[in-house]
Amino acid sequence: MRWSKQRLGKAGLAVAVVALCCALGISADTAEHQLTVYTAQSSYSLPVLDRGGKAYLNVADLLSPLGASQPHVKGKEWRLELNKAELRLTEGKEKAVIRGHQADLGGKVLVEDGRVLVPMDAALSLLSQLLKTAVDYHQPARRIFVGNVFTRFHAELKNGDQPSLVLTFSQPIKRLDANHEEDRGVLFTHTDRTTLTFSQDPLVSDVNKQQFGEGAIQSLTFSEENGAASITVTGNSKLQVIRSEDGKTISLQPQAPVAVATPEPTQQTAPSVEEGQRHTQEFFVMIDPSHGGYDKGAIFGGKLAEKEITLRLARELRKELEERGIAARLLRDSDIDLALERRAEITNEQHAGIYVALHAGRPGRGVRVYSSLLSDPQQPLAGRFLPWDSAQSGALNRSQAAAHAVAGELRKKGLTVASLGMPVRPLNNIVAPAIAVELAPEGDDPQSMESQKRHNTVASAIASGIAQVRGQMGVRP
Amino acid sequence: MIPRHFQITVALVLLAILVSGMVIIRITHKEEAMTLRGADTAPVVPVVGGKQEHIQVLVAYDDDQALRWRPADVFLPAERGMRARETLRCVMAQYLQSPSPHPLAKGADIKDVYFINDDTMIVDTTAQFADGHPSGILLEEMTLASLIETLAANVPGITKVKFLVDGKERETLAGHADLMSFYQTAAVHEMAKEFE
Ligand SMILES: [Zn+2]
Repeated sequence: MRWSKQRLGKAGLAVAVVALCCALGISADTAEHQLTVYTAQSSYSLPVLDRGGKAYLNVADLLSPLGASQPHVKGKEWRLELNKAELRLTEGKEKAVIRGHQADLGGKVLVEDGRVLVPMDAALSLLSQLLKTAVDYHQPARRIFVGNVFTRFHAELKNGDQPSLVLTFSQPIKRLDANHEEDRGVLFTHTDRTTLTFSQDPLVSDVNKQQFGEGAIQSLTFSEENGAASITVTGNSKLQVIRSEDGKTISLQPQAPVAVATPEPTQQTAPSVEEGQRHTQEFFVMIDPSHGGYDKGAIFGGKLAEKEITLRLARELRKELEERGIAARLLRDSDIDLALERRAEITNEQHAGIYVALHAGRPGRGVRVYSSLLSDPQQPLAGRFLPWDSAQSGALNRSQAAAHAVAGELRKKGLTVASLGMPVRPLNNIVAPAIAVELAPEGDDPQSMESQKRHNTVASAIASGIAQVRGQMGVRP
Repeated sequence: MIPRHFQITVALVLLAILVSGMVIIRITHKEEAMTLRGADTAPVVPVVGGKQEHIQVLVAYDDDQALRWRPADVFLPAERGMRARETLRCVMAQYLQSPSPHPLAKGADIKDVYFINDDTMIVDTTAQFADGHPSGILLEEMTLASLIETLAANVPGITKVKFLVDGKERETLAGHADLMSFYQTAAVHEMAKEFE
């Protein structure tokens, strides 16, 4: 059998590689290496470069996010300033001059195509001496903490009808990626692991392992590597991860059995406490010019990017809304990257009255208006939690009403309009009424996507539609 | 201090593993060389057992933004998982032909499908399926609706479907359509009606 011999060959190869690695002490880690710097204002990650077996950083990657000037060359020296402090580096030298004092870098300065590279471990002394503040360096994990920015957490297992593990954080969590793995072993043993990865939060822990018992949630481990921290929860059941609206609590619980049909939201999906307070705030429209930065979206006529069309249309829509006395905010007003999840978070945090995502896409003609399709409605927890993937459930009727009104106004302007319910990200994650509007090219003509007149018409119709339903947006029908 | 006889034993064990590994590699290389020589006549894709069936697949047409049922003759295995995979590949094949009613990137394919329980299926696609998918809300939703509806129509009992891309979760297909959620086939059935 050819198949079995190939398998045998692969196994043999694996055995040989493992043996060789053991013998030579080589790590099999081939993932891209990065270092993360956490400050009170922001967190950023930069690539770690391998130069002759030694880890290096581009000094501009390390310091410019903190406000440093770009390195400029003067004679043989490269200079840059940060907070009026000067750093001087010379190619081939192992010492830097910081604020006029010599500092050891632990390796030579390299210059490649105008980029100045310093040994990774020198980041600690560069940052602490330039910033004159406490800097902590978790070297094996490549994490640097500037000032006392640590986020800590504690874990508590709640044993009710259904066990749930509640993680409480000292500061709101900015970004969370959850991953699930399961092992089905022999004799019905079954292990589920849910790993929460925190790439932008200065999460630390004094305890690396906590045991809870034998059930659905058995243990928690904390680890950090490659510029990120992670919490892994092990048990015998797949866990649902739910983050509270304020970002300070994450709860994990066994997945509830899911209903097949899409039920109308019940009283249980009542808005959170925070949403209740929203009604006293000023109503405003959160306009999302979709895509931006590296994410160009669709491309028209070979060069016109969707991200440019959405931004232009967004500014036009803001103007039209303001002319009707309705406040509006833009999620981005320049060409920046903004994750879909983050767009939803900002909209929820700021308690928008309605969220309008703008897109441009083929095929067809005219304009398409979307409200959400909740494919997997989850049973929300009691109290202040809303399941992230069905946060929209309580507002779906109002979203549909808004989509209907906007579609009606677009039709009045003589445009071809389709009104559809579809699972478009991030509509499901928005607590407020939420719609997406997609502008299609007129008769396959990419030029039509740039037409100022068309942008005016569409923006004016969306604004009129919103003005019509504004009164219903804050309350559940 | 580690005793010297222990050190020698460990060294010998490592050496034995290394040598046996090398020997197996050599055997495999011979085997591969033989396989390559014979490759001209050997079928590239293993033959899947089953029988020829006449099925209906839901095909997306970009020109008029519609989804329409079309007949297809396909060899379908009896085993549910294999049947699901071949059904989905039959839909993909409609889009990879030229001219295509709804073009997908070369290399777009189904890598694997598996049930996590009786009614919930995970569909793992190739990276090219998502990386090369044209970006746009309607284009992406048409792809998903056509795959899920065809699956539900030809493999009874599937009520939830989730997509992975090259074994990993991905937030969207190409910037718009949600790939994080489990799709309820009943809800997708309602969604597909919007394209009639
Ligand atoms: Zn878009």
